[in-house]
Amino acid sequence: MVLALGGLAVLALWGLDAVRIQPNRIVSGTGHGLIEALGTGPALLVMLPLALVMALAWRPTRGREALMLMLVTAMLAAMPWALSLFIGQFIDDPGGAARAAVSGASWLVGFALILMLIDLRQRLQPGALVTLVLIAVSLGSLGVAFGRGALDSLALVQEYEVRRAAFAEAIVNHLILVGVAVGASLVLALGLALWMRRVAGVRQGVLGVLSFIQTIPSLALFGLLLAPLAWLASRFPLLSDLGIQGIGWAPALLALVGYSLLPMTRNTFIALDGVDPDVIEAARGMGLAPLQVFFQVRLPLALPLLIEGIRITTVQAIGLAAVAALIGAGGLGTFIFQGLGQAAMNLVMLGALPIVLMAMLVDALLKALADAARRGDADDRTG
Amino acid sequence: MRPDAGTPMIELDNVSKSFGDAVAVDGISLNVPAGSLCVLVGTSGCGKSTTLRMINRLIEHTGGEIRIDGHQIRRFNEVTLRRRIGYAIQNTGLFPHWTVARNIGVVPRLLKWDKARTRERVESLMALLGLDVEAFAGKYPHQLSGGQAQRVGVARALAADPDILLMDEPFGALDPITRSSLQAELLRIQSRIRKTIVFVTHDMDEALRLADQIVVMQAGRIIQQGTPSEILAHPSDDFVETLVGGRDRGLKRASLTPVGEMMESLPDDGRVPAVHVLQTDSMRLAVSLMLWHGVSQLAVVDDTGETVGMLPLRRLVDDFGE
Ligand SMILES: Nc1ncnc2c1ncn2[C@@H]1O[C@H](COP(=O)(O)OP(=O)(O)OP(=O)(O)O)[C@@H](O)[C@H]1O
Ligand SMILES: [Mg+2]
Repeated sequence: MVLALGGLAVLALWGLDAVRIQPNRIVSGTGHGLIEALGTGPALLVMLPLALVMALAWRPTRGREALMLMLVTAMLAAMPWALSLFIGQFIDDPGGAARAAVSGASWLVGFALILMLIDLRQRLQPGALVTLVLIAVSLGSLGVAFGRGALDSLALVQEYEVRRAAFAEAIVNHLILVGVAVGASLVLALGLALWMRRVAGVRQGVLGVLSFIQTIPSLALFGLLLAPLAWLASRFPLLSDLGIQGIGWAPALLALVGYSLLPMTRNTFIALDGVDPDVIEAARGMGLAPLQVFFQVRLPLALPLLIEGIRITTVQAIGLAAVAALIGAGGLGTFIFQGLGQAAMNLVMLGALPIVLMAMLVDALLKALADAARRGDADDRTG
Repeated sequence: MRPDAGTPMIELDNVSKSFGDAVAVDGISLNVPAGSLCVLVGTSGCGKSTTLRMINRLIEHTGGEIRIDGHQIRRFNEVTLRRRIGYAIQNTGLFPHWTVARNIGVVPRLLKWDKARTRERVESLMALLGLDVEAFAGKYPHQLSGGQAQRVGVARALAADPDILLMDEPFGALDPITRSSLQAELLRIQSRIRKTIVFVTHDMDEALRLADQIVVMQAGRIIQQGTPSEILAHPSDDFVETLVGGRDRGLKRASLTPVGEMMESLPDDGRVPAVHVLQTDSMRLAVSLMLWHGVSQLAVVDDTGETVGMLPLRRLVDDFGE
């Protein structure tokens, strides 16, 4: 795994452009690779640490893996600075119109390093503290580089600089949209799942309707909601005072909830229904009242699968919420569509990157939570 | 306030249960005296579990009357009723997210016993069932062997000191040796605590070994009830006869009879047979010893090793058979 990723990174550095220098915002500019800019000798020197990691990965032992972990973290931390130095070769005044777009080789090396880090962490299973330090070192270095203005020539940073306020607002908007949609669908899904468990006949029907909603393309669903909500708003002024209109957050939220319902309901149902019937029977036989059976036995035992459902749904909603920008719901999608409209790919990146990061973060967080739930409540040993 | 032995603790009066059109239990009547162990036995699907689960109202009966301690069970709140009745089932139904100690303490906690009393009770029950407190209290069910899990299941059923214990094939999933040692343990515990136990099994050997009273069921009805030796001696029909082992019955009966009941006094010449058997061993073991050692008489000793009598082969043929 590490070997393959290292190879990929080397190949990318060899064959692809590291940055693309643009004289101004719209012109696509010219790309520059490592070898062409530095010459073969210095370029090989840059690849040396990668080669070292690959050599260690050839016959891995625990000690070597620990060494690899440190090397990879160091490389990740060094990347913003290296990039800054490299760009300095082409751009003299960081405040000017000229800018550098991060291109293929740099992206690939960055991703390869992150994946190596994840893989090595999996294998070494270090404590939470070590993991935290690893993340702090790599993110901290990026933060310092950014704060010191080392990355000011980056097109991405320049796009951000002119939209600081809008960016913060977009992130908050995005989070609210996703949070409310996931929260609402969780409550609805619990209700639906309980109903499906109680009345055997509704199960197929509910799941059928939900998977039908899932098949409508997201843009079409937004479109479909446009007309009825606009009509409602015009009929009832109170609603439009509340912000409920054909466009904006109301249809976006409705559509997001609609999409979230299928994975959420299906997982919640399977989680609750899959609890060992013998355990439930024993709980009832011991004299737990129905609510006690549910909250002390069924729910805790269903929790890991339930959280898994929340994870899948949330990751999906984070991506879908980007599309909601099209109907004026705000969020990070706004930058993506603006950027597409202006052919400014770095603006697209400004929207897309945080979405990817957010999805990865939520994914990791909820996975850890599900694992913790699976281990059970180990704290109670006395009865 | 345990009733005197002999008065019925559990009474089933013409009790029926139908699931829609299907009749699972069909008008059965049954008395279980306080402090006795009643075994329901029969082939799969004959309604044993249904009968058992009607007693703690996990299933509501559709006809007849069930009384506990003279009171109709419908009068009780079902949750309160169940907390007063111990319940153990085949696959243990232990709560996988709770430790052994918490599993055993579930009913005391529901009854709001204070922490110290619950813990004390849990520890004494673990000791009673041969579970080392240090080693097992903090373990989770998936860390236990089948036999250990089943012991925990029984301890949990006994936790709030209920007068009644319902057990549905509690040893059904165990290997023969573990099963046999748990049966012995149940008998040992029962001789100390004298609960009223209804025990379900489809294994006639288990029934013969444990029961004060055996109830043979077929297709939702009771076809015979009586003590183990009554059932062995006079099976009411071919079905019961097959169930008690057909031509193997002689040995089954021998395994129920202690040697002490059949022994004779020592002959006057004072010659003691070389091979001996314990007074409390079964006749089945005595026969086995005779076959193995090729002798026709055994010395009978008590548990201090004192010779108290002798057992000649002739006794088996003369007085033991029908
Ligand atoms: N909830 C239910 N709904 C419908 N039929 C049921 C239900 N529970 C049991 N039955 C039926 O009632 C009959 C008796 O079932 P029961 O579980 O009492 O049998 P059993 O004697 O315990 O069998 P086993 O030895 O296999 O456990 C069976 O025919 C079974 O299919
Ligand atoms: Mg059964």
